[in-house]
Amino acid sequence: MSVPTDTTPRTDAAASRSTGPRLPDIPGPLETLGSAWRRLRKMSTALLLLFALAAASVVATVIPQAPVTPQSVAQWRAGTAGPGTAVASGLDALNLFDVFGSWWFAVLVVLLFTSLTGCLLPRYAAFARVVRRPPAAGRNFGRLSHAQTSTTELAPEEALARAERLLRRRRFRSRRVGRQLAAERGHWREGGSLLFHTAFYLLLLGAVIGKVFGFTGQVTIPEGSAFAETRIAYDAAEPGRWWDLSDHRGFVVTLDDFDVSYFPNFVPRDFVSTVTISEQDEPVRTETVRVNHPLHHRGMNLYQSSFGMAPHIIVRAGNRVLLDERFMLAPASGQNVWTGTAKVKFDDPSQQIALDLALAPDAKLRDGQPVLGPDPAPRNPVLVGSLYFGELGLERPVPASQFRRSGPPVDTTMLRPGKTAQLAEGSLSVEFVDLGYWSGLQVSHQPGRWILLAGGLLLLIGLVPSLYSYRRRIWVEAGPHPNGSRVTLAGVALQRKTAFADEFAALDEALRRELDAHPAATQERPH
Amino acid sequence: MVNESLAQTSNTLFNVAFVGYIVAMVAYFFRLAFTQVTAENQVAGTAAGRRVGLTGTVLASAAWLVHLGSVVTRGMAAGRVPWANMYEYSSILALGAVIVGLVVVQRRFGYGHLVGFVLAAAVLSMTTGLLLFTEAGPVVPALNSYWIKIHVAAMMSASSIFIVGFVATVLYLVKDTAERRTADRSGSAFSGSTVGAAQAQAPADARPEGYEADAGAPGGPAVAGPLVQREALSPLLFPLVPAAVVAAFVLIVWRTPGIAIVAASVAALLGTASWYAVPYLPPAARLDNLAYRTIAFAFPVLTFGVMAGAIWAEESWGRYWGWDPKETGSFFTWVLYAAYLHARSTHGWRGRRAGWIGGIAFVALMITYYAVNLWIVGLHSYAGV
Repeated sequence: MSVPTDTTPRTDAAASRSTGPRLPDIPGPLETLGSAWRRLRKMSTALLLLFALAAASVVATVIPQAPVTPQSVAQWRAGTAGPGTAVASGLDALNLFDVFGSWWFAVLVVLLFTSLTGCLLPRYAAFARVVRRPPAAGRNFGRLSHAQTSTTELAPEEALARAERLLRRRRFRSRRVGRQLAAERGHWREGGSLLFHTAFYLLLLGAVIGKVFGFTGQVTIPEGSAFAETRIAYDAAEPGRWWDLSDHRGFVVTLDDFDVSYFPNFVPRDFVSTVTISEQDEPVRTETVRVNHPLHHRGMNLYQSSFGMAPHIIVRAGNRVLLDERFMLAPASGQNVWTGTAKVKFDDPSQQIALDLALAPDAKLRDGQPVLGPDPAPRNPVLVGSLYFGELGLERPVPASQFRRSGPPVDTTMLRPGKTAQLAEGSLSVEFVDLGYWSGLQVSHQPGRWILLAGGLLLLIGLVPSLYSYRRRIWVEAGPHPNGSRVTLAGVALQRKTAFADEFAALDEALRRELDAHPAATQERPH
Repeated sequence: MVNESLAQTSNTLFNVAFVGYIVAMVAYFFRLAFTQVTAENQVAGTAAGRRVGLTGTVLASAAWLVHLGSVVTRGMAAGRVPWANMYEYSSILALGAVIVGLVVVQRRFGYGHLVGFVLAAAVLSMTTGLLLFTEAGPVVPALNSYWIKIHVAAMMSASSIFIVGFVATVLYLVKDTAERRTADRSGSAFSGSTVGAAQAQAPADARPEGYEADAGAPGGPAVAGPLVQREALSPLLFPLVPAAVVAAFVLIVWRTPGIAIVAASVAALLGTASWYAVPYLPPAARLDNLAYRTIAFAFPVLTFGVMAGAIWAEESWGRYWGWDPKETGSFFTWVLYAAYLHARSTHGWRGRRAGWIGGIAFVALMITYYAVNLWIVGLHSYAGV
């Protein structure tokens, strides 16, 4: 896929000095600019740019993309997956892990839009001229692809008037020129094409506005907890360049309840978060957020995006409560188990306590060992806690699950909801109060989506006539004849000639019926 | 919940339709075999060919109705739209391709003898569907939206029309090659391709009405002229290339040599059939026109489908476009089909080059549909098998 390299570095300059196709014929940079601009305006250049765009998207399908699958990209960079670190660093140098965010993709888009602009500007002008020009009179009908002559008893004037009515009914623009009626139709072909291509500017505008002024963030909340719509509350956020901290709305979202239901074959049926939104400590609305049913509040949209088990755990040392929390567990891949690590005590680096948690929603105990079932709904949950003690390194800025395990756990216990276990010879007690859920919400602000929608609509409205409509001209000429008048119907189409052949035949028949005319056998022209 | 007996009925109807299509396809190929080229350079079928062809049409239509019944009962059994997994989607792709073949290719354009190729594509799609068979069942919440009716229906319609467009494109490229080579051999000044001529002046009549009319004429000695086209093409390449491609595909995907051999044999048969059919194919310009009309019809539908998908993504995942593999793939496909439409009106690109772009665009569509669902992890993966 070769983008013509000689045009690449000069395009911006070429675009800004869009002095049109006719530049003074002097050698030097201006002429080079002119030729670059002319080349960029060619349809074959636009085609090559389209192929380059397609090639870029193939690359993006084959190579994992950081914004979509960051884990895979990390594995490729680390060499644990993919072709190896050397190749990965090469890919990194070319921004191939983020094709659609790369500088060269942006250059490609700019080139494509420059080329589009170069194609469109002269076409707008030409279209405006053509549309305003009235249908022109015709000559030498015998040379046209379609011509039929017939005789009628009507006077020429009357015949033309009736023909004019017929053509108007068939939505032709017509004009009387002497004894002739000149008509044409099908400007929507070019008009639709222009509309279709113009819509891309709207799409670009909408996408840029969404990117620059938009915000997307992920937040996880256990049942009963709340988060305030501020930057700090998000686990991950992608603010647009001009999204300001003060643009956050500051309302508080409380997760009252989360519910997941399953079909008998364990396929999830629905995820429902019930949330209450409060403004200035006043609850304003309570609504559900479900997949495909986002909640809109003050320009922010809340989407259901993930969920998990969240057992309520209290850890006590004697009467002192070390931990009292609805603890969020993550799904263990490939198993019907949820896992997590609780930092119970980490102030003193040498005497830290960590609790590895594993929750099986469907577990039967057989000989003191849990046997896992396939049911994802927590009808029979068991929580397994493994206690670690000592220099665990919990104070380090790493995920809790990566603490230093120097040996087997100090103690292990299995709990049903509502039960309490004594660990490490009674020095610690762990209470599994009850089992709840946490819910992951995506919160986003997307300005510009109405512009995108409008652009999409215009694009479709333009696309259909640009493919189906066709320019055609029709002439009706009426001359005197011994029995009335001799009427010639002639026509020519610029596109879709086979479709026009049918249309012309139908028009010919309709006109004869309208004029009560008979084919003039001797005058009929072959076509 | 799932109505088991209805689901069973649906599966039975699917199998009946599958067999029906295969028999109809054979009948259509027989019709092709009974086709001759008359002295006026008209393609005509013999009386026997006409009877077999009629049988094929009746069979294909009946099988299509049975197939429709299979799709409807499947939807009733699962209590939702019958296009929520790859088995169902492949099934409807075939359903759409067959009806487009019967209505557009046979009735509107009058190329009845080409429907065998469309049926072959439909059978291929149904076979992939069978390999990806899933029991009727409910869908995950993300798919539980009225947008599945809009987005997926648009994508299916577009894809099934593109299947017919692809068949026409491939036949066009084959026919065009034959026309060029015979023109080269006869040393004619004419460039060979009828496409250039078509741009200057469209064929006076896109529907060869004489086809069935002079079919009753006893098969006189076929004129050597058009049959030269067959000799201009290598009889080995036609069975070998499709067989190799299909065998490689099946081996890579399913790793089953048995199925690969069967599929490769079928592909070789199809290749031989198209080699045999070359003289009877409509002129390249008309095949090109058929390909263009079908692709131009499906392209706005595809565009609408991609947009509907973006709106659904906005509603379901909170962003309208995230370059998820499926989104990237559909963008890729859309750009290639757009390039096809542009190429067809660009000097130096129309004709064979445009045809190749159209063919590659269809391959992109199939990759976007199958490969992205089966091997590449993304948000659309749940729609998988």
